[in-house]
Order: sequence, then C-alpha cells, then structure tokens
Amino acid sequence: MNKIKSIILFLIVLVALLQAEDTKKYGEEITLTEKTKISDIVANPQDFVGKKVLVEGTVVNVCKKRGCWIELSSDKEFESIRVKVQDGVIVFPMESKGKTAIVEGEVYSFDYETEVECSGSDCEKSEEKNKECEHHKKEIKTIYQIKGFGAEI
Amino acid sequence: MKWRRTIRVIHRDTGYIVAVLTIIYAVSGIAVNHIDDWNPNYIVEKDTVTITPLKDTLLTKDESVSYVLSQMGILDSVKSSFRPAPEMVDIFFVGKTISANISRGEVEIETISDRHIFKESNFLHLNTPKKLWTWIADIFAAALIFLAITGVFMNKGKHGIKGRGKWFISVGILIPLIFLIFYY
Repeated sequence: MNKIKSIILFLIVLVALLQAEDTKKYGEEITLTEKTKISDIVANPQDFVGKKVLVEGTVVNVCKKRGCWIELSSDKEFESIRVKVQDGVIVFPMESKGKTAIVEGEVYSFDYETEVECSGSDCEKSEEKNKECEHHKKEIKTIYQIKGFGAEI
Repeated sequence: MKWRRTIRVIHRDTGYIVAVLTIIYAVSGIAVNHIDDWNPNYIVEKDTVTITPLKDTLLTKDESVSYVLSQMGILDSVKSSFRPAPEMVDIFFVGKTISANISRGEVEIETISDRHIFKESNFLHLNTPKKLWTWIADIFAAALIFLAITGVFMNKGKHGIKGRGKWFISVGILIPLIFLIFYY
C-alpha cells in the first residue's frame, strides 16, 4: 500500500514539475535554426508562399474557443501575422497572450471575399453606380498566414 | 453459469477503474458539444472604461503604455505590449489584456480565468497531452467496449438479453440509425 502511495506521490510531483516548465512545446519539434523576420514576410508575402519559416514574436491574440490560431507581432510596429494550426493537433492556451513565441511553419495564402462600402470615387453620379453603392461592394482579398507545425511559447 | 459470474466481477472492477474517466469524458463531451454557445475552457469577461483622449499619435509604444496605465491607475507588472495601429495599444498582463484606443479614449479590459474542471476535462478528453495519454485513452475506449459487451450478457432470464434486454438494445440501435437515415 505504501508503495502505491509513493508512486502516486511521485506522479503528482512529476506532473507538477512538468507544468512548471517555463517554455512549453507544441506540435512537432522545431528543426530550422535561422529565423525569418515577420516584417520581411509581411513586406513581400508572395516570396514566402510555400516556404518553411521560423518566426519569433509576441503572441498578441489567441483563438479563444479552440486555441487553433495565434497572432504574432512583427518586429516592426503595427504589423502582425496569424499562425493557423490544424484543429485539435495543437491547442494554444489563452495564457499564451503576451508571451514570446517561436513558431515553425509554412507560409500560405488564400483568397477571401469581403464586403466594402463604396466611398469616394467609387460612388459615381450614374444611377447604376449609385445602385451598386447602395449595396456593399464585394472585394477579393488575399490573406497570408503561417501554417504552424511546431511552436515554443 | 460460471462465465456469467466471472464477467460480472470483471465488469464491476473495470467499472470502478473507469468511472472517473467516464465522468471526465462525459462532462467534457457536453462542454465541447456546445462550443458555439460558450467557451468551455475559459471565462472571458470584458469591460470598457474611458480615459482622457490624446490626439498625439507620435507617442512611442512605451509612452502609450505609460499613458494608459497612469490614466487607469494600474500598477500591475506588464508582461508585454503591442501597437496594432498608431492610436492603439494592447497591454498584456497575467490573465488580463487591456486594449486602448488612445485618440478616442476608449479602453477595453479583457479578463481571462480558467473554467476549472471543464478545462482540465477538455485537456484530457481532446487528447491535448498526446504521447502516453493517447495510450491511456485507447485503453479506456477498449474498456468501454468491454463494459458494453459484458453489460449486455451479464444478466440472464427475463431481465437478460433474451428478455427485456433485446428491446432496449433495439432502441439503442435505432437511435443512431434514425439519425443516420435523416442526416447522413
């Protein structure tokens, strides 16, 4: 009986020690050593599409319900990039917010249809144009994200 | 019959072992089933306050942070900060995020706390730890199959599978079948 108690106690201590780790690993091991600046990706995203990158930044937002994405701040102000992971494979906790993360993943893009309100030169005097302006105008936007494979936060 | 007595004993003891895990998985199952209606892991509370607007967008990030903190009288230690736009600043604390629009003087405070029991249950149920837990989850699943099968054959006579049991089994078969017919 004492042996069982000791084993249970050992397991509790082990779990507590593992929990106390400063840096937590998510998903696959990071293999790249050279970091890519997020600002470089944001400046020329098309050059990076399909390429594996290692990026570092502060976690400025986290998917609240599923932990399926994080947003990393760039090395330049007012910029960030989203890291999307496969649902359930990696789950980022909300406690990650404000922490520094290193992420390995692949840059990818997708088109997104969005509605924008007509303004300025879009709103011409012609009746047809005005009708268009009454409704929202559809616009295709290309979004660039990183498909995350592994992370350390 | 002797085999019936044996499976009753194994069923009972297996039941004791998996009782807590079954409750954990069931609680988490209900919690994540309604993920569109609530957050099963965290209690997220939002509050808005106002500060004196400042039109000067030439402030540095640190100056923006200091301004917001002084306006709000916050002394907590800051984890980090981020400026999504010149007039905006996000300040991160442990369990709290402050998002301020300095030029409008609008501040949103988001407080996050764990939804205990549910968060831990979801962690295990959704196999977030992976590794060894995958094996435990597989063994647990196998134990549930074993409990289901032994449960069916545990009793004999009018309360057994040949008696009223066959009707209850039929209901159990019909429930998924009907849903598959109509929704699949």
